[in-house]
Amino acid sequence: MDSIYSQYAWLIPLFPLVAFLIITAFGRSLRATSIMVALTGSLIALMLSILVLFEQMGSGEEFSERFTWMTIGNVQLSMGIEVTHLTSLMLVVVTLVSFLVNLYSMGYMKDDERISVFYGYIALFTFSMLGLVLSENLLTMYVFWELVGVCSFLLVGFWYTKPEARAAAKKAFIVTRIGDVGLLIAILLLFWYMPDHALDFASIKNVFDGQTGTIAEGITTLIAILIFVGAVGKSGQFPLHVWLPDAMEGPTPISALIHAATMVAAGVFLVARTYDIFEASQAAMNTVAYVGAFTAIFAATIGIAQNDIKRILAYSTVSQLGYMMMALGLGSLTGGIFHLFTHAFFKALLFLGAGSIIHAVHTQNIQEMGGLGSKMKITAWTFGIGALALSGIPPFSGFWSKDAILSTALDHNPLLFVVGLVAAFFTALYMARLFFLVFTGESRSKAHAHESPAVMTVPLIVLAVLAVLAGFVELPWSGLGFLGGWLLPGEEVVHHGSELVMVISTAVGALGIYLGWLIYVKGTISRDVVSSRVPGLVKLLERKYYMDELYHAVIVVPLRGIGQALQAVDDYIIDGVVRLTGAAAVWTGRAGIRMQNGQVQTYGLITAIGLIVLIVVIVGRRFW
Amino acid sequence: MFNIEVTGEFVAFFVFAVIIISGAVLMVSFTKVVHMVISLAAVFLGLAGMFVLLEAEFVAFVQVLIYAGAVSILMVFGIMMTKHQAMQDEPKRPVHEALSAIAALCLFGILFYAIRITELSVPEQFQAGEDNTMEIGKLLYTGYVIPFELVSVLLTVAFIGAIVIAKKEAD
Amino acid sequence: MLSSYLTMAAILFCIGLYGALAKRNAVVVLLCIELMLNAVNLNLIAFSKYGVVPSLTGQIFSLFTITVAAAEVAVGIAILIALFRSRGTVEIDEFDEMRR
Repeated sequence: MDSIYSQYAWLIPLFPLVAFLIITAFGRSLRATSIMVALTGSLIALMLSILVLFEQMGSGEEFSERFTWMTIGNVQLSMGIEVTHLTSLMLVVVTLVSFLVNLYSMGYMKDDERISVFYGYIALFTFSMLGLVLSENLLTMYVFWELVGVCSFLLVGFWYTKPEARAAAKKAFIVTRIGDVGLLIAILLLFWYMPDHALDFASIKNVFDGQTGTIAEGITTLIAILIFVGAVGKSGQFPLHVWLPDAMEGPTPISALIHAATMVAAGVFLVARTYDIFEASQAAMNTVAYVGAFTAIFAATIGIAQNDIKRILAYSTVSQLGYMMMALGLGSLTGGIFHLFTHAFFKALLFLGAGSIIHAVHTQNIQEMGGLGSKMKITAWTFGIGALALSGIPPFSGFWSKDAILSTALDHNPLLFVVGLVAAFFTALYMARLFFLVFTGESRSKAHAHESPAVMTVPLIVLAVLAVLAGFVELPWSGLGFLGGWLLPGEEVVHHGSELVMVISTAVGALGIYLGWLIYVKGTISRDVVSSRVPGLVKLLERKYYMDELYHAVIVVPLRGIGQALQAVDDYIIDGVVRLTGAAAVWTGRAGIRMQNGQVQTYGLITAIGLIVLIVVIVGRRFW
Repeated sequence: MFNIEVTGEFVAFFVFAVIIISGAVLMVSFTKVVHMVISLAAVFLGLAGMFVLLEAEFVAFVQVLIYAGAVSILMVFGIMMTKHQAMQDEPKRPVHEALSAIAALCLFGILFYAIRITELSVPEQFQAGEDNTMEIGKLLYTGYVIPFELVSVLLTVAFIGAIVIAKKEAD
Repeated sequence: MLSSYLTMAAILFCIGLYGALAKRNAVVVLLCIELMLNAVNLNLIAFSKYGVVPSLTGQIFSLFTITVAAAEVAVGIAILIALFRSRGTVEIDEFDEMRR
């Protein structure tokens, strides 16, 4: 079977783009129409993506097509699309979450007067993300990479009347920019060292896979690490994670779409796409693994002490992205992508559930919620499924993907296995805390909570189903690892199922949940048992290890100082010169007025002086 | 330049130079206009002496007649017919005067420098002729007859003009 | 010897220039202009004797100059008297008609 739909994969990003253009052109006057346009665009994109995925799952061949974008001297820059198994999987994830978020936003953003603008931004984001996924070379990928950054900026700052939202948008943009610079340098290095200056993924694979010594090992490591720096910025890995929790100032559907399922996963996707470079350098792999593992446990511990429902989920996202990075660093491409795949569904589910809760009680502080389970049954159930999936309880999807990662870790690096387990424990603990505080117990909210409308609950249900089922694409038993075999067709499917790991991870997850239940429902263990003994620790966690303060002191303040110094240079030196020029003209004019006083003697004097100056200039030239 | 031998011409030149310079300096520094005219007359006479030194006896004669005689007397008339007692010379314009002095000094510096660096060739001996006046007269009525006639017209026009200007307006 | 005469003329000229620029009485200014003219005469005559081509032409020229200077003084004094009649002063810094 030839690839039929894959050839038309370039149409997929086109529909959201057209939707964006229509909405931007006419949206201001047509609210309802713009929603329909955006929905239609994302729906068609979803259909096409599913067709492409099915084709790729069948016997469809990988497809790539390109055309020359520009020719500079002997160097040709091309643009194009490439449909591989990985990209077709990503296409479906992106379009599906995007479509559901579009649907959900009809309810969530119903009363916002700029809803058409919102839909326009979402359409633009979907276009950029699909373009990123489909890109055939690193350069166009970088273009779309920046484009999703812009969309993220626009959407985080969507409620720009709030100062926090403005600050968060700027922070998100600037912090990810640091990573982007790393990626740009990596691309430049690749451009410099690659044969024929090729930047497409196929050539990269050819060059690095064989490892024929085309590119020196040090350079390879450098390139890999710089690419990883880009991924760190985008995927909120330590130490550039600080923007992601703040980005929760944006509308909740955006948090679900951009900051949980798609854009932040772009970093993981980038590493997976250029995986051959990483595999060529063990140092880079180790870096990825350790940074990922540290981020996973670091963010999970912060998550325990937060009170803002979206921030907890944000730190959870950071932590889970750390997991994915760790998996990639340990050499398990399948594990990383698998976790990305499942995480996209259950984390989008959790965010949309959180949005439903916020919609009902108009607060984000979990201490002010409680007892919502009986009032919002659908939300509670679906949120529970998401929480269980995240906590790694079988048979939900999160269990399988986390198990794949943990068993890889056990094989390669027991230390990271332990770290992963601890992180999993904390994950279960804070999810239990979140769930129990929000849905059980007495209501501490003054708002009259009620279930959300159907446009919001239907996406929840769809995602909940996926959160349950998505894990079954890769089971750790022989012959059932479909995803791994499909993603890496050429390689032997390493079967890494281990009953021991499954039992331990389940036990750890269950222990976390049980502990949470003891603390927050049963009350057997006092809530302040930790804070009363080690108050500093809780404070440290609440303030997120003082990372923001550290950055403020180490980077922001000195930069401001430099900025002010430069401002002073501008104010006093450059402006001074400008003002001096103006003043000189004025003074000259005044002097001219005084000279032109109508007295013959003054004119005579000026003539005499002028004559002297003339003589000195003309004769004096001889001596220079 | 200063190691020239002391000849009669040099001594005479020196004396006349002292007269001229001191007269000129006194002229610009006196406060009463009449004194100024007198010192100016001294300058003119000193110049006439220098002309004699330069073997231009006729010009020296004319200098004495016209400058020391006519022009000085004309100036005295001018002073008499205008208000001159209010010559209180408090420096009303210090900047202007200082600048004038600087300009004059600079100009002198430039001229002096130019004179010093110029290679002045030693000329062949000048033969002014036995009778200087006769030679001038011959030249004036041969080679320079047209300028001579023009100057006479100029003089006539100037004197008529002066009378017209200075005349009280007859209404 | 020529340079001595030339220096002499330069001194005279510069004193005349200073007076013409700085003095406030119009009669004095006229006197100073006469000084400058005389300095020129001195140059002409000095060159007529010590110049590269000595000749009587310099003396002729100085005669013309003296004539023109005489005419100039006559007209100048006449103008001064007319001015004095109409304005009541010969202070030169009282006249700023050129500004208007």
